[in-house]
Amino acid sequence: MTANGWLQIFVFLLVIFLLTKPLGVFMTGVFDRKRTFLDPVLRPIERLLYKLTGVNETHEMRWTEYAFAMLCFSVIPMLVLYAMERLQQWLPWNPQKLGAVATDLAFNTAASFTTNTNWQAYTPEVTMSYFTQMAGLAYHNFTSAATGIALAVAVIRGIARREQETIGNFWVDVTRTLLWILLPVCLVISMIFVSQGMIQNLKPYVTTEIVDSQTVQTTGTDGKTTTQVVKEQVIPQGPVASQEAIKIFGTNGGGFFYANSAHPYENPTPLTNFLQVLLIFAIPAGLTYTLGRMTGSQKHGWAVWGAMAALFVAGVVGAYAAEARGNPLLHGVDQKASAQQSGGNMEGKETRFGIADSALFATVTTDASCGAVNSMHDSFTPLGGMIPLVNIMLGEVVFGGVGSGLYGMIVFVILAVFIAGLMVGRTPEYLGKKIEAYDVKMAMLSVLIFPLVILVFTAVSVVSSKFGTPSISNPGPHGLSQILYAYTSGTGNNGSAFGGFNGNTLWYNTTIGFATLFGRFFAVIPILAIAGSLARKKFVPESAGTFPVTTPLFSSLLVSVVLIVSALTFFPALSLGAILEHLLMHAGKVF
Amino acid sequence: MQDLVFILVTIGFFALAIAYVRGCDRLKSGERK
Repeated sequence: MTANGWLQIFVFLLVIFLLTKPLGVFMTGVFDRKRTFLDPVLRPIERLLYKLTGVNETHEMRWTEYAFAMLCFSVIPMLVLYAMERLQQWLPWNPQKLGAVATDLAFNTAASFTTNTNWQAYTPEVTMSYFTQMAGLAYHNFTSAATGIALAVAVIRGIARREQETIGNFWVDVTRTLLWILLPVCLVISMIFVSQGMIQNLKPYVTTEIVDSQTVQTTGTDGKTTTQVVKEQVIPQGPVASQEAIKIFGTNGGGFFYANSAHPYENPTPLTNFLQVLLIFAIPAGLTYTLGRMTGSQKHGWAVWGAMAALFVAGVVGAYAAEARGNPLLHGVDQKASAQQSGGNMEGKETRFGIADSALFATVTTDASCGAVNSMHDSFTPLGGMIPLVNIMLGEVVFGGVGSGLYGMIVFVILAVFIAGLMVGRTPEYLGKKIEAYDVKMAMLSVLIFPLVILVFTAVSVVSSKFGTPSISNPGPHGLSQILYAYTSGTGNNGSAFGGFNGNTLWYNTTIGFATLFGRFFAVIPILAIAGSLARKKFVPESAGTFPVTTPLFSSLLVSVVLIVSALTFFPALSLGAILEHLLMHAGKVF
Repeated sequence: MQDLVFILVTIGFFALAIAYVRGCDRLKSGERK
């Protein structure tokens, strides 16, 4: 570990802290329909959109109507994306003449992008046309992010409102998120990315002669080895910068190229790398301030921010320490950091990013539901690779995905105040609302869907030598981690891949597709029910017996609840995977 | 044929999600009574 590495991580957290308030204030203004500096341009466009679509912007929705609108907004575009993938050979902007995407892969991708997961069981540059990427995948990058933010705002309204039946208007929340937040920021960020050397074109792929021809040995399906001299290289092109901005800012994570943010076209400079990690956390951090402002308890917003920051620091320190230590079995290899090298475990990492930026990126992308990667998590040391896995298992509530991080954390807040209430023997309260049986039941429904989907699908896959285990590339505990990571990433709507795992099979495409759908919709529906329930409740003034949700004690309890719930659920699976692999590595055995 | 299967399972999933919304709402109505 180096002072430079620590400084970068510290500066990152400091900038996130400084961005939280201005972003939170701006988002509060957008959702409270107060005047912002963008109104003169965007308000006429907003009004026109409502006129064209027949949306009554003054109409308020009950939570059930809000949920129905959200489901309709998801299912129809999901089917359109599926059709687009299947018909792309007849659609425009396909200079490489890529054929139709296979049915199971098209379903998986459509489900994945609709749910903000962006799990990619395919190599984008040889599978998706420019049209599918721009009109299909990028559309979902914007709308799935907007849906997440709208849902979080509806939940905040549920907490803030008193004796009301409604929690806002889904169509208005989504439209304002797109127009005021996502589109303007992405436009600016795309320009910055282009200035840094990121490409933005619709050209066919470029074939170039390589400077130093390479001799490559390949083994065919018949087992015969042939030697080939490679003199040319095909360099993919495309509208990368415009996709990259929303990929990061909307915590989507689906790469334009298979190498994702490790590809020089997707992440060309140290500045773009820093901007990417920053943009992943920007909205989720800002929403904690919005929570405080809209509920009238700014200290509560900061208490939630503090809990998230503590979990982030624990994760990044763990990942950085594990990767900087290197591989103990590489005897005689210099793994110390110096002016000439990053040191540590550099397998699967970009030399231009090194250990600190790879560990930071891996932690941030899995704390949030982003899933973009600038290093291959499969090549991390067992404990270093366990950190991203655990981050997703926590429910991606460490700042989390755009919107989903906050509403996921609110479920844990409800469980925390419930536990605090049990300790002192009185009905728990949360910001002046009594937390009753129905709210806790809904919170548990939301929490339990996650392990149910992950553990059942993982268990079925690891015992099947026909359709489960053939997809793993390493035996033993590492193989278990690969399958566990795939379902955790899918259900958690993260989308990052552990690497070394072939998810493009009928079984994995179908089951991971369903995992993304259950992880998104079956988790959020009970949370909307909680929002509806809280909005209806009377305000109960704070008394001497009220557990304060604004103190460091509350933040500590919240962190404990998040850790205990996840640890109790996933510790056995982690013991058989990453932890066992770590112990075996120190005994001299690697996988 | 496979296209039809995947389209139907997608629609089926969202129908299930709508039923889930109704179920969660009914649970609350039941508690009120």
